[in-house]
Amino acid sequence: MAQKRKIGVYVCHCGGNISDYVNVEEVVEGVKNEPGVEVAKTHMFSCSDAAQQLMIDEIKEKKLDGVVVASCSPKLHMFTFRGMSERAGLNPYQYVQVNLREQCSWAHTNDKIGATEKGINLVRAGIAKCVLSHSLTAIRIETKPSALVIGAGISGMRAAVSLADMGLAVHIIEKEEEAGGWALKTALMGPEAQNGPDIAAKLIERIKQHDNIMLYTGAELTEKNGNIGDFNVKVRIKDGSEVEINIGAIIVTTGFDTYVPQEGEYGWGMDGVVELKDFRKMLNDGKVERNGKPVKDVVFIYCVGSRQKQTETCENPNSYCSRYCCTATTFTAKTLHALEEKTGQNVNQYHLYRDIRTYGKMETVYEEARNGGALFLRWDPENPPVVSEEDGRLLVKVQDELDGNDEIEIGADMVVLSTGMRPRDNEALDSILKIPVSKDGFLSEIHIKLRPVETVIDGVFIAGAAQSPKTLAESVASSLAAVAKTGGLLKKGYVDLEPLIAKVYEDKCTWCDECLKACPYGAIEKTVCGDKEIAMVIDALCKGEGACVPVCPHDAIDIEGYRDDQIVAMIDASIKDYSKAESA
Amino acid sequence: MSKVSSELAAKLKQSTEFNAEACYHCGTCTALCPMGYEVLPRKLFREAMLGLEEKVKARIPEIYQCLLCRMCEENCPQDVHIAENVRYLRNLINKEEMNLIK
Amino acid sequence: MPLPIAPILGILADNIKQRGSVLPISKKASTGWAKGLNLPKGGDTVIYTGQMYQLIPAIDAMSKQMAMFEESPITKLFGLGRFANKIINLSFFMSLMASKDMKVENNRILKNITGLLKKTGVEFGYLYEDDMYSGALIYDEGLDEIFVPHAKKVFEKLKKNGVKKIITVDPHTTNMMRDIYPKVVPGYDIEVQSYMEVLAEKAPEVLKQCNKELVIHDSCVYARYENMVDQPRELLKNAGIDIKLPELSGKSTHCCGGPIEALFPKKAHEIAGNRIEQLSEEGKDIVTMCPICLVNLRKAAKGKDCQLKDISDTLADAYL
Repeated sequence: MAQKRKIGVYVCHCGGNISDYVNVEEVVEGVKNEPGVEVAKTHMFSCSDAAQQLMIDEIKEKKLDGVVVASCSPKLHMFTFRGMSERAGLNPYQYVQVNLREQCSWAHTNDKIGATEKGINLVRAGIAKCVLSHSLTAIRIETKPSALVIGAGISGMRAAVSLADMGLAVHIIEKEEEAGGWALKTALMGPEAQNGPDIAAKLIERIKQHDNIMLYTGAELTEKNGNIGDFNVKVRIKDGSEVEINIGAIIVTTGFDTYVPQEGEYGWGMDGVVELKDFRKMLNDGKVERNGKPVKDVVFIYCVGSRQKQTETCENPNSYCSRYCCTATTFTAKTLHALEEKTGQNVNQYHLYRDIRTYGKMETVYEEARNGGALFLRWDPENPPVVSEEDGRLLVKVQDELDGNDEIEIGADMVVLSTGMRPRDNEALDSILKIPVSKDGFLSEIHIKLRPVETVIDGVFIAGAAQSPKTLAESVASSLAAVAKTGGLLKKGYVDLEPLIAKVYEDKCTWCDECLKACPYGAIEKTVCGDKEIAMVIDALCKGEGACVPVCPHDAIDIEGYRDDQIVAMIDASIKDYSKAESA
Repeated sequence: MSKVSSELAAKLKQSTEFNAEACYHCGTCTALCPMGYEVLPRKLFREAMLGLEEKVKARIPEIYQCLLCRMCEENCPQDVHIAENVRYLRNLINKEEMNLIK
Repeated sequence: MPLPIAPILGILADNIKQRGSVLPISKKASTGWAKGLNLPKGGDTVIYTGQMYQLIPAIDAMSKQMAMFEESPITKLFGLGRFANKIINLSFFMSLMASKDMKVENNRILKNITGLLKKTGVEFGYLYEDDMYSGALIYDEGLDEIFVPHAKKVFEKLKKNGVKKIITVDPHTTNMMRDIYPKVVPGYDIEVQSYMEVLAEKAPEVLKQCNKELVIHDSCVYARYENMVDQPRELLKNAGIDIKLPELSGKSTHCCGGPIEALFPKKAHEIAGNRIEQLSEEGKDIVTMCPICLVNLRKAAKGKDCQLKDISDTLADAYL
């Protein structure tokens, strides 16, 4: 130790949450003589403004160079006290929090003496860690004022336009020859009969007119390097050549695929059994016909390819609900009613559903479908409808749960399968981007509720149906959420990253590549130092998660804030004999 | 097994008098029916709407036993005009099954 | 074997078509009650009976005989009966067996209602033989194609007599003439009020406080079709009646079984029995406000410790 540390130790009562079980005065007594401790005392509520001010004054007055607060979980107040330290002129990384509440008083309410003893040991460990702490600075990265959007469906295009409106340069790439995505192929959409191609055409027009947007169709991402705020990507474009683009963030809006039924699934493959999207096309052209004859009876089967259970014929079931299909199908019923009114062609509609999920404002679509005369029959997944062919007509057998499970036979001219969404098969892209894929195959967010468009890769966001099945409106909402996150990141001009990351001891490292193999974030690179090859940490990519540390055969890599020497000192301090310390 | 008659289904669909599409099968009507028949009125309407002709024919006694007292209708959460629907079915049967109206 | 639906409905339909009523009765039976009341024929406002109270004794007699046929092999011959009824007024002969007491009671009810209306100062006449049956039963049975021409005929009679407003005396006629006729008769413009609505509006003076308990049996049609729940209660309350209500009352009143009396007498009796049980739990004296309820419930109350009366009897006691 170069010089004697001056550490302030503050033990919190937490109003009794701690002090009812841990004798906080005894804790102060037990730690005040630890090496480096300049001052040790208690506070009723350390997090209160008054207590924080007292601590700030003391840090300044006694010129403390380290602070330990023994209070609650760092999840609750670590940032509070880091902020306090900063305001007192202390480096925030020289602050250490000891969890005396969740990990001590609340856990040992039946043993006050034991709790107090453990409390002393925990605080001693915290002091030992603090003694070995040094000041660290956040890693600041300058961000490039440009973004890449992958996928030019409605979500991607909407994101591109909004980013460009913020004054950011946007590159948007699309695998298909044409931008527009599924909306381009979907005519009228529920709940209010918006026209898909129109919506797509308007966005394409805006993209083409916008000076800040570059659209590449027939293009694919081939390489991604760099880190948040400063990515370098390569894109193969239509003519086969590659362009290099430098951007600050990436939004992935690769969308979904439609479920294609298996041969024989609900009659798939029989003449007259069609997918919803094809039926809608037919409806949009105003001709609901089969083999040139007007369709009189049509059966819709819901939940095809969604909410599946594992069976012999379905090994990898799609367990999710595809969200859009109930609305799309009931909306189709409505459109069909409108056609009937216009042309006088009477069509009997039988909707075989499991549960109707026309949530939110879409409920009225379901209501209108029913009121127009569409009939709804509910089936149990144990007894799914069976489609067969008889004399050139289709025959659907279903056990109607609403009529006492009686088997009902419906003769139909057409059977429409309301097929769900499935994740895009984008293995190559996923591995370039390194975004984790969830169990169901959609891209994974960090937190489904609180961080729905962020991924574990800083600077890479996901939106639209690439993340999970969504309606168009929901996709746009999530793409604009990704825009907000991207804009917030890039418009600020820089990003500060936590410095508690890996560091390599150049003298010990011999480059064996074990750390590289262990790192899930690709944050290790080989570099040359003097005359030898060693590992180097890419600061912006490292998350300080520590997978590299235990695999290193030479102890040549450490995580700041959790260095080996700190951990060892903490263990030593916490197992010191209490009674001896007392007598000393 | 009951077969759907697309003609009957179409007839009921086009009728402005018969209207049970809003029914969501809560069963309040059945629970309140003084006649205590399990079928009246929600199942009956469903069978009629689906065009299950044979089933509807088998219900003729029940259709004429309805008291039209509207106990069900008063409490129907979906405002289905139940009594009027029963009357409509009677009219249909009078005409097509019983040949009463010439 | 249950009663055959088609021939019975056929007889009702034929009667309406040929004879203007589901069960044709003599002129004396239908207008005799007004004898000596000096009601002018026709006028702006008339009391309109729709023959409901007058028909009850005949219907009762007929259904008693029908009930005997229910579950008997004779039902097979009903088709023949319809054929015969077309030639000779069979149902009329059956109605000749109507109970005399019942006729007297129903005539008294109509007289009482007339007296109550006169007391309000409202001026009104009576249509005598032009006071026709409304067609309620054939409408309920779904015989629309026969009902509609009949309703038009009824309206013609009203117009012929210069009637602008009718005061009805029973729930079924009230509902038909107020809610159904406007839907099926073009140009129908008759104002309809039930006599209890008129009484509640005019609130005539009570001459004698009754000071007794009465159980009300609400009519389904008044309560649920016509939204008429408060008026009878108000009139009885003013007369000093302590009103008792069964759990199922007002908008949740329970049917008397009457509507299916013609086709399913046994079932109708069962329903009436259930209702009597509910009513008699509240008290011995029960009032009804519909001739069908009265006759049906009374049959079910036979041998039970309770009496049924038309509400107009009680009102007459207090107000006249």
